[in-house]
Amino acid sequence: MKIAVCAKQIPDPAIAVTYENGTIIRPDEQVLDDTDRYGIEVALQLKEKFDAEVTVISMGKLGTQKGIQQALQMGADKALVIEDESLKNSNSLMTSNVLSEIAKLAQADIVIFGTESSDGYSGVVPQQVSRYLDLPCISYVKGIEINDETLLTRQTITGSEKVVMPSQCVISVTASGVEPRYPNFKDIMAAKSKVVEQVDISSINLTAEQNQEFIEIKSISNDKSGEKHIDEGEAFNLIIEKLKEIKAI
Amino acid sequence: MKSLIIGETSNGTISSGTLELISKITQEGLDFKLITIGSDENPKIGSDTFKNTYMKLNQNELSLASVANEISNIIKSESINLVLASSTYVGRDIAGFVSVDLNASPISNVVNFKIDGDNLSTTNSIDGGESDYLTNVTSEVKVLIIRPKSFEASEIELNNNYETVSIEKNNLSVAVQDIFIEEKTGPQLEDSKIVISAGRGMVDVENLKFIEELANKLNAAIGGTRAIVDAGWMPYSQQVGQTGKTVKPDVYIACGISGATQHQVGMKDSKFIIAINKDEEAPIFQIADLGVVGDTLSIIPKLIDSL
Repeated sequence: MKIAVCAKQIPDPAIAVTYENGTIIRPDEQVLDDTDRYGIEVALQLKEKFDAEVTVISMGKLGTQKGIQQALQMGADKALVIEDESLKNSNSLMTSNVLSEIAKLAQADIVIFGTESSDGYSGVVPQQVSRYLDLPCISYVKGIEINDETLLTRQTITGSEKVVMPSQCVISVTASGVEPRYPNFKDIMAAKSKVVEQVDISSINLTAEQNQEFIEIKSISNDKSGEKHIDEGEAFNLIIEKLKEIKAI
Repeated sequence: MKSLIIGETSNGTISSGTLELISKITQEGLDFKLITIGSDENPKIGSDTFKNTYMKLNQNELSLASVANEISNIIKSESINLVLASSTYVGRDIAGFVSVDLNASPISNVVNFKIDGDNLSTTNSIDGGESDYLTNVTSEVKVLIIRPKSFEASEIELNNNYETVSIEKNNLSVAVQDIFIEEKTGPQLEDSKIVISAGRGMVDVENLKFIEELANKLNAAIGGTRAIVDAGWMPYSQQVGQTGKTVKPDVYIACGISGATQHQVGMKDSKFIIAINKDEEAPIFQIADLGVVGDTLSIIPKLIDSL
């Protein structure tokens, strides 16, 4: 079994995102998107059970590769990455087009994603990749049980449903249900010698195109400058008065 | 512009998200065709004013890839150039699949759009709603994924005047072994007049009992931040924010929530926001109509007792 798991490098989420002509400004040092840790965890649980090979796939500005290293530290075997000027500010279709080509290069049977990145959050890349690869798509997975067969629990609007994982498919994993592992010192050292291979854009069959023209970013003032009170034991009365005033109670 | 709305059923009728799309497209004066996806038996989703095709799923099969095939064929054969879906589990799956067939990247998280002849511009909410990001969509077919609650839902008289297509499984279908329906008691997040949400400031999962008690007294729905959903304190279906639900209740009470931009996206348009947080500098206070700086765990029990 070969698994490709997507890892996106994003600007430190603790710092507000900044834009230039509508494109996110990316510093040299980017970190692993937390939402990808859940997908990586699922990939590693499958690796442990089936002795699978796990390849991290990633697209975007490489920089110091800190985020790629963080994915390898969790326990993935190697990484296949791509950075190209022509891919800057890619839309979701271009992104999924490129990532599905890289998944093919990794000869992946199973391709795993988080449900959406924390900086772009288009939330459709896993579905698009499944379509490009003509594989079943099991989206919003929130639990995995690996026995004789592998059962995936997926979130639905009314609750959840359990499906048997096909031998080849694309999965998106929500940020709950599995507990991403933390690497120890040994894992961190081991990651340094893992292979990170760069894919050249010429080996990618890119048919998707840019389809958005940036107009502007307009800031809206959300500051309501409402009342603010320090609680000295009686502030609950203020809340009750207010609820009465607006006829909520 | 020839448009198609990808709709969904909910409790035997048309979902509120779908109604929002219908009202927006009607306002724009565009003709539209509706495709409604669901597994309900004989839902009441028809109308005399628009055409609806019900794509009926077998709930024992995950077959949205089959549905997407049907929809892509319709878009191509009827030369449709505007496709609208709600940002739901089903809506995102279908829009994702169809966008590859049409080679038209979907625009996600759209909160508004404007049509001017053949041109279409979209607004996305970014920075937790502090900024609007405006673009022109240039592909021939424009696929928009709309955040719920972006438009006011219109009242529509519904009947049984629609056509049903039974979805057959294909090579991409996956068999569903078990279905669990989450028992939802009390008011639902999306349509409750009062929502009480909990964040990390509740300190321990045990303390959520205070939130439940307060919600009972106020007949409110309960929500939570991504942090506490990730921590397993609450199911994902109760998550409010960027990766969860969008709510616009009359009153939103944020308990122990700092107000990260990702959370604000899901609740900032509530009519009246009350925030209780220890940290005076918490960003939630910038959008609160009434802010109380203090210990949530001491204030909420007092609130419960005096209600």
